[in-house]
Amino acid sequence: MGIAFWRYIVRRLVLAVGVLAGVTVVTFLAAQVIPADPAARWVGPHATAEQIARAREELGLDRPVPVQYVDYVARLLRGDWGTAVVTHQPVLSDLMAYLPPTLELVVASTLLAFLVGVPLGVVGARYRDRLPDHLSRLGAIAGVSMPTFWLALLLQLVFFRQLGWFPLQGRLDTTFQLVHPVRVITGAYVLDGLLVGDWALVVEAGRHLVLPAVALAAYPIGLVMRMVRASLAEVLAEDHIRNARALGVGEGTILFRYALKPALGPVLTVVGLSFGYSLTGAFLVEAVFGWPGLGRYAANALVAGDYPAIMGVTILVATAYVMLNLVVDVLQAWLDPRIALR
Amino acid sequence: MAALATVAVFAGGCGGNPAGQGQDTAGAGGDGANDVAVYASSSEVMVFWDPADSFSNEIIAMNNMYETLVRAQPDGTVKPLLATSWESSPDGLTWTFHLRQGVKFHGSGAEMTAEHVKKAIERTIRRGRGASFIWAPVDRIEAKDKYTVVFHLKYPAPLDLIAAAGYGAFIYDADYAESQGGEEWFNAGHDAGTGPYTVQSWTKGGDLVLTRFDDYWQGWDGKHFRHIVFRTIEDPGTRRQAVEAGEADFVNQLPFDSLEALANHPQVEVVTAPSYQNLLALLNTEKLKDRQVREALAWAFPYEAAVQDVAAGYATQARGVVPAGLWGHSADLPTRSQDLDKARQLLEQAGGIDHKLLITYTSGDDAQRQIAELYAANLRSLGVEVEVRGMPWEAQWDLAKSPQPEQRQDILLFYWWPEYPTPDTFFRNMFHSEDEIVFNLSYYRNPRFDQLIDEAAKVAATDRDRAVALYRQADQILFDDVPVIPIYDLQYARVKKRSLKGYVDNPAYPNVVFWYDVYRE
Repeated sequence: MGIAFWRYIVRRLVLAVGVLAGVTVVTFLAAQVIPADPAARWVGPHATAEQIARAREELGLDRPVPVQYVDYVARLLRGDWGTAVVTHQPVLSDLMAYLPPTLELVVASTLLAFLVGVPLGVVGARYRDRLPDHLSRLGAIAGVSMPTFWLALLLQLVFFRQLGWFPLQGRLDTTFQLVHPVRVITGAYVLDGLLVGDWALVVEAGRHLVLPAVALAAYPIGLVMRMVRASLAEVLAEDHIRNARALGVGEGTILFRYALKPALGPVLTVVGLSFGYSLTGAFLVEAVFGWPGLGRYAANALVAGDYPAIMGVTILVATAYVMLNLVVDVLQAWLDPRIALR
Repeated sequence: MAALATVAVFAGGCGGNPAGQGQDTAGAGGDGANDVAVYASSSEVMVFWDPADSFSNEIIAMNNMYETLVRAQPDGTVKPLLATSWESSPDGLTWTFHLRQGVKFHGSGAEMTAEHVKKAIERTIRRGRGASFIWAPVDRIEAKDKYTVVFHLKYPAPLDLIAAAGYGAFIYDADYAESQGGEEWFNAGHDAGTGPYTVQSWTKGGDLVLTRFDDYWQGWDGKHFRHIVFRTIEDPGTRRQAVEAGEADFVNQLPFDSLEALANHPQVEVVTAPSYQNLLALLNTEKLKDRQVREALAWAFPYEAAVQDVAAGYATQARGVVPAGLWGHSADLPTRSQDLDKARQLLEQAGGIDHKLLITYTSGDDAQRQIAELYAANLRSLGVEVEVRGMPWEAQWDLAKSPQPEQRQDILLFYWWPEYPTPDTFFRNMFHSEDEIVFNLSYYRNPRFDQLIDEAAKVAATDRDRAVALYRQADQILFDDVPVIPIYDLQYARVKKRSLKGYVDNPAYPNVVFWYDVYRE
């Protein structure tokens, strides 16, 4: 790797830190504007004025806003994300409890987007402007434009209520939990099952994962599909492909061996971005499927005006987003060194 | 706690045979049908685990893990639980509770004694969180002998009702809990109660599973569930499908339109019961000084539409500020029904209203929104200028407490409910004179009224009849003076499997199922 590559990475890193700093300022200021009194929430309904005043002091809300902000950032850097108003628990430990189910869902849907989106995109490019292409385009438009929660309801209606193939909600059946103690390692049950070789858990957790993952994957599938088709079409028009065709190389080999690999660069960006999108898109899907993830936590926090928790969620999601972008950028620069030189 | 307030929109999923039926929770070892019960809650059940602090949904599960000295009954009486009998001194200042013998705590396995009761309540008071203020009258607690606890009060109070509270009155093994790590230990998903069920497993944000406590003092003869699962399903449509498909035995809340659709379901039934919660419109007596104007506003209110159209009949028009069903409610109090002519006439006599009225309600509460809009339309038809503003509760409350009285709202919609079954909370919090405004959001001041309810509170413990008579007078004053328009008393509508028997809704413990009393047939 040349010097340009490393300079590029440092530049991106500095930028990422700047973005995150900006996010903390904006969320902190936004939290000040929320017309909710965290102190009143802290002590609960029907609280006395003294209880609220004491809570305000306990929470440090009686200090000037800039002081509160500096204190917040200083503590953030030490790994102290503050204490959530709703749960009275450290925000970070709350997040770590609610994050694994969401990550499980998002990773599953991203995998699905990749596994379904890429072949369909290839089909679209291969049969350009013919029936398979039109069908896959229709699918992509439907996937991208369908409201996620509506699709989630539709999936429940068809695959639970009518066909009975998949469970309605939750991560595990209640009876399963009683007869089958779950050893929690990462909190992502499918992964936990794989790690300890607990196949019953893998199947049970997997069954529950299917519908929410599909609902969440619809949008990224559409994106990936269109992206693969577009960039494949571009590559297929290049000279070396024409040469390969002239030499009598089979169409399948051309598509998957020569054309797909260079076409995947931009697709990677899309997958990275859609992963970030899915983190927040998952909130709606989680609500419909009773999936106990970050969305449930964020919703409770929002309703309560629990600003440390809201900030925690925001910063976590922003960090994930920025990191993903960084990784994607670096990967691309690595795949195509010209990018670092721009 | 806006129990039935949200009319969510979900019309899908009608008709068809629920798949996944016959998944009737057998097979976990034990006596088949009565093995596992599932409670589907609209919001997370366990947030705070410390029994001293919890003041919200937790009571749904906690009343199965913990017990109180006594339990309030739907008929207004108080029945023995951890205490077998109790008495108060004639002045209501000394309360003696005789404890049940042979009651064991989960975890420590210790037998409950007077010392435990004293320490539990003292710890709850010391922490000063949640609903701990219910113990405010207590001066000191004395463990007289092994099975006798004496409460010495600063002023007379109905301590039997306080000890029955669904929040903040749990008896737990405080020493044991502290030795394990106190609040932190509780919050990891532990309990230290005497109740029929104890924690089997819990994951933050996930399901709570309770299991039988083998040494429970009432024993396990007869039909009882072995496990209780509490599961959060936020989406009302999914919640409804879960109960229809047999995945949930009990659902505490569903939108009104779902309730109607479920009325004739073969496996599921809707059970309605009166609540201790009411919806009120507080009138700003400082901005609307003229009693005649306030009376006009009360005649203009759309009571019938609020009950029938907005609450879909799951409410009854309020009579006074104490909900029907709670002691202290007077069934012979007068009420008003909408009479726009009378309102117009009174307004004319009073010379009209000189400013635009501001009605505030809690945003996100669809019932309040609809009622506010309906009311505003009625007032506009009388030529009154009205602005309706939905605000988050804290913002609404801040505006109501604004240091500039002229900034405050004219009419404020909100719910009230008691921490423990007493009418005092309705009168005192909302209408007793306050120098610093907390919940007296009608800014009402009436020395005669204050005197009546102070007197009533004093004798509530010792002379219930006299207290009721005094509250009756106080309620009449509110009717005549009109600092408030009582709108309706809410009804609870629970959805449960038909096969679930023994369930009695107890409005003193909102949303609680006492699972020990319930079984499946």
